[in-house]
Amino acid sequence: MRGVRACLVALASLAATEAAGQSLLAELSQREVAVTTGFAGAELLVFGTITGEAAQPGADIIVSLRGPNASVVVRRKVRVAGIWVNGPSEQFDAAPSFYAVASTRPIETLLSAEERRRLRLGLASLPLSLRGRIEDPAFRQALLELKQERRLYSEDPGGVRLVADRLFFARLFLPPAVIPGPYRVDILLVRDGRVMAARDLPLTVVRAGTSAEIWRIAHDQPLAYGAAAVLLAGFAGWLGSVLFRR
Amino acid sequence: MQVYLPIAEMSVDASLVVGIGLAVGLLSGLFGVGGGFLMTPLLIFIGIPSSVAVATSANQTMGASVSGLIAHWRRGNVDFKMGAVLTAGGLAGSALGVQIFALVRQLGQVDLVVAVFYVVVLGIVGGLMVGESARAILRRRRQIRRRLHEHFWMHGLPLKMRFRQSRLYISVIPPVLIGFGIGLLSAIMGVGGGFVLVPAMIYLLGIPTSVVIGTSLFQVVFVTAAVTIMQAISTQSVDIILSLLLMGGAVAGAQFGASLGSRLRGEETRGLLGLLVLAVAVELAVGLLRRPDALYSLGPVL
Repeated sequence: MRGVRACLVALASLAATEAAGQSLLAELSQREVAVTTGFAGAELLVFGTITGEAAQPGADIIVSLRGPNASVVVRRKVRVAGIWVNGPSEQFDAAPSFYAVASTRPIETLLSAEERRRLRLGLASLPLSLRGRIEDPAFRQALLELKQERRLYSEDPGGVRLVADRLFFARLFLPPAVIPGPYRVDILLVRDGRVMAARDLPLTVVRAGTSAEIWRIAHDQPLAYGAAAVLLAGFAGWLGSVLFRR
Repeated sequence: MQVYLPIAEMSVDASLVVGIGLAVGLLSGLFGVGGGFLMTPLLIFIGIPSSVAVATSANQTMGASVSGLIAHWRRGNVDFKMGAVLTAGGLAGSALGVQIFALVRQLGQVDLVVAVFYVVVLGIVGGLMVGESARAILRRRRQIRRRLHEHFWMHGLPLKMRFRQSRLYISVIPPVLIGFGIGLLSAIMGVGGGFVLVPAMIYLLGIPTSVVIGTSLFQVVFVTAAVTIMQAISTQSVDIILSLLLMGGAVAGAQFGASLGSRLRGEETRGLLGLLVLAVAVELAVGLLRRPDALYSLGPVL
């Protein structure tokens, strides 16, 4: 019974998307972000327009950017014999390495909790694949907070500007700690608590230039990398003794 | 200027890192030690992951020690035979140390193990140094001469070998063990170990002070080189960019430090170094005992 209903919901939303297929157009300021030696984060501009009949007052836009999944461990410090050490830990097998959502209004007021969960939209609805040895929501909360501190997770309820109910844009910031891989931008047009149209655009974060080479050699040829580090240090030391010969 | 560190996977202010190199280089030139024991905690303090801080600091210490070794080599102040014996022990110790390091990293306890090692080793060494230099300053007033070369149980050990340059005929067991211990510290703390090795060579082995620094640098260069390669293989946490920035600052700083150091007396210098070592130990001990600001921490799955 439940399966049938889920199928119907999926079909209905698909039909809605089809019908309004052309009512949402969007593009990114860049489709590729290069992590180079001078990388200090990047700003991504997501912009687009609502076309045709859909461009009426009451429309809202939600933009989300999701990075590749990576497993992480959250550890809690506990006091053992007077010293604070890492104690219990919880492993999250598939937490997005990066997640940002921006919208014209708070997403809680735009979509129901059920709908947000279905769309995996918003920090509260992120699936993190908790391995679940300890049933403690504090670990999930800690993960969200730590990621937000590093600007890897964010929720910006006023981050999308809608101009004349038609033109919209949002700025998303990718901090220096983003990991390379395929990213995805999802743009949703929402009206009366329902998703009227959706667009998704791919974004790639790549390591480029010297830093990419260094990382690759360090992981593919660790012996050569270590030897190079030794030679470089030896050379620097020799250079120092020549420059400052007393 | 922000620079992206490829292995630490973060961007840092280049002038801050060069500044740390300069400051540590200044102190190492002043006191004649590598300064790794200051470098690693400072790097961790500015947010570099512990594993990267330790591995990179070992690499940086090697570069700094090469300069010193060349200078002492030119003056003929290196006992190569003693250096080789110490290095043999050091290589075994550092191999074990790198394995231990990889294991505790997997258990998520790197921060703790590094901090505990620092508190214990620096606490003991700093305390001994301060005490020794205080006694030396007092002794200077009273003019008591110690015997040059005391004999105790160590001199009854087998496998004796002649070290011509050090004018010693002793068993190889104590220098191998000392080298082993220093190698272990080098791998886990990212230090050269000069601040432990030099007193051990003088007081335990009885090596003449003229060849101590050069010989210890010989051991430090080879052991930190081995640690760099082993860390690169087992933890991939040596950051060449970070290491280069640090060396740039350290090489220049060491020159100022050396000229500054020549104006200070030996006992006072050692006393100051002891106080500095103690201060780092106390600071890290407080960090272990105080309730941390953030109870939760995030780490990759290894």
